[in-house]
Amino acid sequence: MRRGSRGIRTGLTAAAVAGLAVLAGCGVGGGEGGSGRTAINFYAFNEPGGSYDKAVENCNKEANGRYRISYVKLPTDANQQRELVVRRLAAEDDDIDIIGMDVIWTAEFAAAEWILPWEGEDEQAATEGKLAGPRKTVEFEDKVWGLPFTSNTQLLWYRKNEVGNVPDNITWDKLIDDAAQKPTGIEVQAAQYEGLTVLVNSLIASAGGQIVTEAGDVKVDATATRAAEILSKLGTSKAAPPGMATNKEDEARIGFEEERSFYEINYPFIYPSAEAVGKEFQDSIGWARYPRTEADQPSKPPLGGINLGISKYSETPDLAFEAAKCMASEEHQAIAAELGGLPPTTEAVYETKKVQDAYPFADLLRESIDEAAPRPVTPAYSDISLAIQKTFHPPDGLSPGSIESKLKDRIERAGEGKIY
Amino acid sequence: MDGQHSARERVMWLIGILVVIFYALIPVVWIASLSLKKPDQVGDRKFFSGFSFDNYDVIFSDDTFLAALINSLGIAAIATLISIVLAAMAAYALSRLEFAGKAVILSGALAVAMFPPISIVGSLFDMWRSIGLYDTWLGLIIPYMTFTLPLAIYTLSAFFREIPWELEQAAQVDGATPFQAFRKVIVPLAAPGVFTASILVFIFAWNDFIFANTLTSTDAARTVPAALAFFTGASQFEQPIGAVAAAAVVVTVPIIIMVLIFQRRIVAGLTAGAVKG
Amino acid sequence: MEAATATQGTRRTGKKSDRARSERKLAWMLCAPAVIAMLIVTGYPIGYAFYLSLQKFDLRFPDDKEFVGFQNYADVLTSSTWWSDVAVTAIITVISVSIELVLGMAIALVMHRAIFGRGPVRAAILVPYGIVTVVAAFAWRYAFDPASGFMQGLPLISDTAAPLTNQTGSLIVIILAEVWKTTPFMALLLLAGLALVPDELHEAAKVDGAKAWQRFTRITLPLMRPAILVALLFRTLDAFRIFDNVFIIQPGGALGTETVSILGYNVLINRVNLGLGSAISILIFLCVILIAMFFVKVLGTSTAQQRGEV
Repeated sequence: MRRGSRGIRTGLTAAAVAGLAVLAGCGVGGGEGGSGRTAINFYAFNEPGGSYDKAVENCNKEANGRYRISYVKLPTDANQQRELVVRRLAAEDDDIDIIGMDVIWTAEFAAAEWILPWEGEDEQAATEGKLAGPRKTVEFEDKVWGLPFTSNTQLLWYRKNEVGNVPDNITWDKLIDDAAQKPTGIEVQAAQYEGLTVLVNSLIASAGGQIVTEAGDVKVDATATRAAEILSKLGTSKAAPPGMATNKEDEARIGFEEERSFYEINYPFIYPSAEAVGKEFQDSIGWARYPRTEADQPSKPPLGGINLGISKYSETPDLAFEAAKCMASEEHQAIAAELGGLPPTTEAVYETKKVQDAYPFADLLRESIDEAAPRPVTPAYSDISLAIQKTFHPPDGLSPGSIESKLKDRIERAGEGKIY
Repeated sequence: MDGQHSARERVMWLIGILVVIFYALIPVVWIASLSLKKPDQVGDRKFFSGFSFDNYDVIFSDDTFLAALINSLGIAAIATLISIVLAAMAAYALSRLEFAGKAVILSGALAVAMFPPISIVGSLFDMWRSIGLYDTWLGLIIPYMTFTLPLAIYTLSAFFREIPWELEQAAQVDGATPFQAFRKVIVPLAAPGVFTASILVFIFAWNDFIFANTLTSTDAARTVPAALAFFTGASQFEQPIGAVAAAAVVVTVPIIIMVLIFQRRIVAGLTAGAVKG
Repeated sequence: MEAATATQGTRRTGKKSDRARSERKLAWMLCAPAVIAMLIVTGYPIGYAFYLSLQKFDLRFPDDKEFVGFQNYADVLTSSTWWSDVAVTAIITVISVSIELVLGMAIALVMHRAIFGRGPVRAAILVPYGIVTVVAAFAWRYAFDPASGFMQGLPLISDTAAPLTNQTGSLIVIILAEVWKTTPFMALLLLAGLALVPDELHEAAKVDGAKAWQRFTRITLPLMRPAILVALLFRTLDAFRIFDNVFIIQPGGALGTETVSILGYNVLINRVNLGLGSAISILIFLCVILIAMFFVKVLGTSTAQQRGEV
């Protein structure tokens, strides 16, 4: 018995050790893009229109072998994109070179020293000719941390044939009353996610308020209450679409296309999508500027977009800067507008034929982006956004009276790295 | 025997059985129907309104999904192999030898199995990123031991307890060498137990989500459950319901087939592991 | 003669203790790799987690790492979020385990006593067991999706009361998904216990005129008590650690479905706040220990059967 079992034991142990040795070798190192002295890996969301692919392709051609960009596609959800990118940066992964950063990541990444500042010549390239909104999203602590590539903002879309013409200075109150009277819905994004922060931020900013200053001071005031009042009014009125508390951009689009709502607050991607429903449908769509919170103050539309940042752990930062500048050229911004429905960040591009053709509302778009209000520029942004989401959800269960103190408390705790 | 059961009884049992089967299969049928729908049919709330394999084309042409399949297979297989090997040795000792500390080891294994994974993902994330095991196969296989090892130990001990070990000695008395005795007598007796334990452990490892989600970030090691949660849709804001459903079916069908074929063994393994005998 | 026997006896005893010792040694050597593996994969990370929990450590500000003692714990234990998450987790645990117990028992009885069709039933209930949890969670989420789910079309669920758009509804769907997935396991555990109840007792009771329900409550249940307690212990610990279903059905624990594991995930992975997150991890670990101790000490659950000692 002893000999036999010892035999088994040795055999099994040997097998186990051999197995471990094998797999220690395989599967180590998680590079997805290319590797080598000339490989530049570009991590960004999967732009479905193909414009990012085109930019990468063109730049590779121009580079003539000096560098080679690989486009590594991240998942659709902005939260998931951030999760994945943050995890790799926190793990000091050298695989990332260029990051397609959501506009809200700048301060966080800069403070964590995960991205490199754009200085000197690069700084000029990053800010020259750019609209005010996007420019604000790459500035933090007096430095520039990214190159604005594409932008995004929301407009108020409506069915001309159903509700007539909507003026650019309409207030939320009037809009909700009009819609409730018809009755029809106003599609918004009020699920508990980043889109809700977008909505709340614009409601507050349009009233002249701020949530957090750049220095990090909490500046929650009565404007937060006002925002809660509007959101609550919408959530409890007849103008609230079903599932409003879980609707994101796509659900809103579908609601508008299925005609359960004649109003919609959304990004311009819904316009080319409407074409698939029918030319008649698309022609019946009108657009206006984002609604006002207060009748006497112009609205501050939301601001989205992608900035190109350079990872600190990149092995070839110089090449990465060069590649990024090539990708964000005016020509590529025009292509992004045409194929991807993504508004440009450089002012001059709005005058080009491509953009004018892609967007009948190009001027309104440019104006909105120029006057847009960025979300709070602070390193603790993701925490603060989560705090905002928690406080303002669900829209039909808000008590506006206590919002200001709740929000203040939560944001302060979030900023201190506590649980909120 | 049949004569003792009235027709009414039989009908009641039939209804009962059908209810159970319906209960078990509803989500599976639903996700299968979703996977066969075209994108514009997704919103129609019906079962089986479409019958196109578009979604399957999409996922199979996607490198990410194929990589995830390979990762899942490889990691689960290796974790199973290591667990079974280690557990077999321990189970042999636990079921055949006398020593103090049996209770400690078994209770300890139970304790390890009850561990909340979330309690260690933080440390693992930090440790792995320092050592360089982040986003690697080994980086997942090691935490998998927390649940595969205890399960394997329990199942194998239960099976091994049933093996008539005296047969080995009897064979030796009849003139076989120890190795021959082991090979011809013990191995055939132990094989079913090892096989069943492997199936159970593999299913468990294949199923893991929390470790795969937090300790990977690219195709290099992301397994299918984690990949499902990160699927990209057709547009920036679209939910890839069809693609997710197709991927879900691809992952589920082999397991279902395996479960159906080996159902007797699996039930035996689960109940043996639970109770002696 | 006596002396010879005596010496033989001593020799035999001597051999036995020798054998016992070498058996022990062999046993420990065989068990060592598995034991060491289990210690390493759990002991070290938990110890490290405890160490991290005593620090203020946020990966976004890596230079700000400092020792803060139990401040993280104080922060967690005084935040209403932690306690409401514990409540949500407790609600999900208690309700799903209760339902599973009843359903599992029913299925176990069907499998034990069915006069035909045991094969198909056995095969059917193994499907939820074998399916990947995430896959099932997606199936349930899409089933209740306000826009495309088939549940929406059913007469009982009105258009505006989509379960996934409010807390109660979401919790119901999560519990449903959890129960669906793990009842088979519960059923099998109970089936094993059922098999231990001797048929003769039932026959005798039948002869005495006892009805089926009486036989069930007076004979079956009491004899199954150990098995039931073990099944409850396993399932309660499992349910308390719920993660996959919540993550998929209401990502991020939205709409008030955040459980303690999701909270830990959000803090550790989303906010990469390793210090605070580790404190949460340790607290969850303590909760699990408390539950286990409750079952063992208070309810008298014994895993002796499992360990083969009974």
